[in-house]
Amino acid sequence: MSNLLQEIEAQISGVKTLVNKQNVGIVRECADGVAKIEGLTDAMLNEMLDFGNGITGLALNLEETEVGAIILGDYLGVHEGQEVKTTGKLLSVPVGKGLLGRVVNMLGQPIDGKGPIKEDAFYPVEKIAPGIIKRKSVSQPVQTGIMAIDAMIPIGRGQRELIIGDRGTGKTTIGVDTMINQARMNKVGRASGDKNFRPVYNIYVAIGQKQSNVARVIAELEKAGAMGDTIVVAASASDSAANQYMAPFSGAAMGEWFMDNGMDALIIYDDLSKQAVAYRQVSLVLKRPSGREAYPGDVFYLHSRLLERSARVSEKYGNGSLTALPIVETQAGDVSAYIPTNVISITDGQIYLETDLFYQGVRPAVSVGLSVSRVGSAAQIKAMKQVAGRIKGDLAQFRELAAFAQFGSDLDAKTQGILERGKRVVEVFKQPQFNPIPVELQAAVLWAVQNNFFDDVAVEKIKVCQDMMTDFLNTRKADLLTKIRTEKAISEALAAELKAAITEFKQTYR
Amino acid sequence: MKITKQARRDAKQLFNTCKVGGLLDEARVRQVVGVVVAQKPRGYAGILTHFQRLVKLDLDRRMARVESAVPASEALQQSVKASLAQRYGAGLAVSFVVNPALIGGLRVKVGSDVFDGSVRARLNELEASF
Repeated sequence: MSNLLQEIEAQISGVKTLVNKQNVGIVRECADGVAKIEGLTDAMLNEMLDFGNGITGLALNLEETEVGAIILGDYLGVHEGQEVKTTGKLLSVPVGKGLLGRVVNMLGQPIDGKGPIKEDAFYPVEKIAPGIIKRKSVSQPVQTGIMAIDAMIPIGRGQRELIIGDRGTGKTTIGVDTMINQARMNKVGRASGDKNFRPVYNIYVAIGQKQSNVARVIAELEKAGAMGDTIVVAASASDSAANQYMAPFSGAAMGEWFMDNGMDALIIYDDLSKQAVAYRQVSLVLKRPSGREAYPGDVFYLHSRLLERSARVSEKYGNGSLTALPIVETQAGDVSAYIPTNVISITDGQIYLETDLFYQGVRPAVSVGLSVSRVGSAAQIKAMKQVAGRIKGDLAQFRELAAFAQFGSDLDAKTQGILERGKRVVEVFKQPQFNPIPVELQAAVLWAVQNNFFDDVAVEKIKVCQDMMTDFLNTRKADLLTKIRTEKAISEALAAELKAAITEFKQTYR
Repeated sequence: MKITKQARRDAKQLFNTCKVGGLLDEARVRQVVGVVVAQKPRGYAGILTHFQRLVKLDLDRRMARVESAVPASEALQQSVKASLAQRYGAGLAVSFVVNPALIGGLRVKVGSDVFDGSVRARLNELEASF
């Protein structure tokens, strides 16, 4: 027995406790969510720092004698003389389907009081965008449900389309409408049991907004039943600038998970001008040199590396996509300001919303002349291409002539025709908010406009007539709409059927 | 007080001249301070302030603090000093401190590196893992 005890003793003495090496520093100053830390000789750029008590930081500035770090979370708990440790990790957020239907903060922690989140994985917040080899050109549409956009400025999966305009012109509404339409299409697609159907998941990133606005958007999404397919990342105006600056990146990480796993996701950054302002604040407090409008020199890189992460990935790499709809606010319609020009040049097109149009009652106030989609037309379904091909040009011509026609009344028949058609198209494109229109219905209505079915309806009656026609098609000709949706084109047979249906409606309308 | 870029640069240059074989030479540091105070070049207050900071950071870097729960024996002190010299090179100022809060084991801090083998640290780790 004594032998055994000696053996155990020998074993115990042979066991060595491992001592781990840590790199620490001392907080020298801390203000405005930014800490200057002395020591931390091994800190790496963008490394997560542990401030203790569950507060994390991010090393952004590595200087000769100190490290500048932003504090994520409550920076009032950090004080001078406190010890900070390196972690050797990059900042990561939880990702996966478990986040759908939830409201989270920049770190992916739930803030909706619905209990903990079951994540599938953790993704680094800053990630290099997919390279050229992995990408594929845009070929599938994202239906926004807004007629003016789907007809004239089509968006494809994997595209980055900027929504730009003054305050109060309905930028957020376009984003919310698009999310609601995705949720509706997902519901229809799932119910149809089509194996090739690809749902689109939404991510809404609210940056520097009033909490009440975020709550309103969430309530609107819940009312429309769209919250189940949506993740809301909120960094509201009361969150620190560091959180506001990082929030879009965490949202992008959550979207990338869908893309990497062969799914389609849509992300809305609302809005990037506030993010740029938050980044400017962080940079100035970190004493980085400032440039134009006091923004730091890398504010372009800030947005380009974020938006570059939206992509359409080829079949070999999972066939997923991440579509981005960044929102930028302009001041007094000035698109040539610093941040708007930057983001315009990064994105694949923009939807410009005009204050004048908005107050004339043209809502959504999409300015046809200044809006463009550089890649989306390749993704438009054939039915839409057939009916909407000429509309953009027609409308541009109409706007030009409308200004001219105000001075005189004696116009030739051709000009008169363009003006009458233009007025009707403008009326048809008016649409109430949070009420997206399915693409087959859009195609049918536009087909009717193009084939002169609205020419004998007075301009002020167009909307009423359109609504009645919509009701008629939805209730009496649902199979026709289904055919358009599944065939995705208006064949000659379908055109004849459509003509018969609309003629029938016109008789009842009279 | 605002220290100008030029003053920082000068201080850094002076600091570099004080190094002999990569280590800071005390006599030279004193000499430099004496000369600067006597000659009073432009912005000398700023130069000296920054110089002091650089010297302080260098001293911190070469300072080893060994904490133990009970006073360390002479043999232990020698072995710790030897292994630290092996790892960080010569010129390390090693100080030994008694800290009963550690309960047992050693905690060694060299510059900003910490080797924590104390019972307290392991208990904290255990607590955090729950």
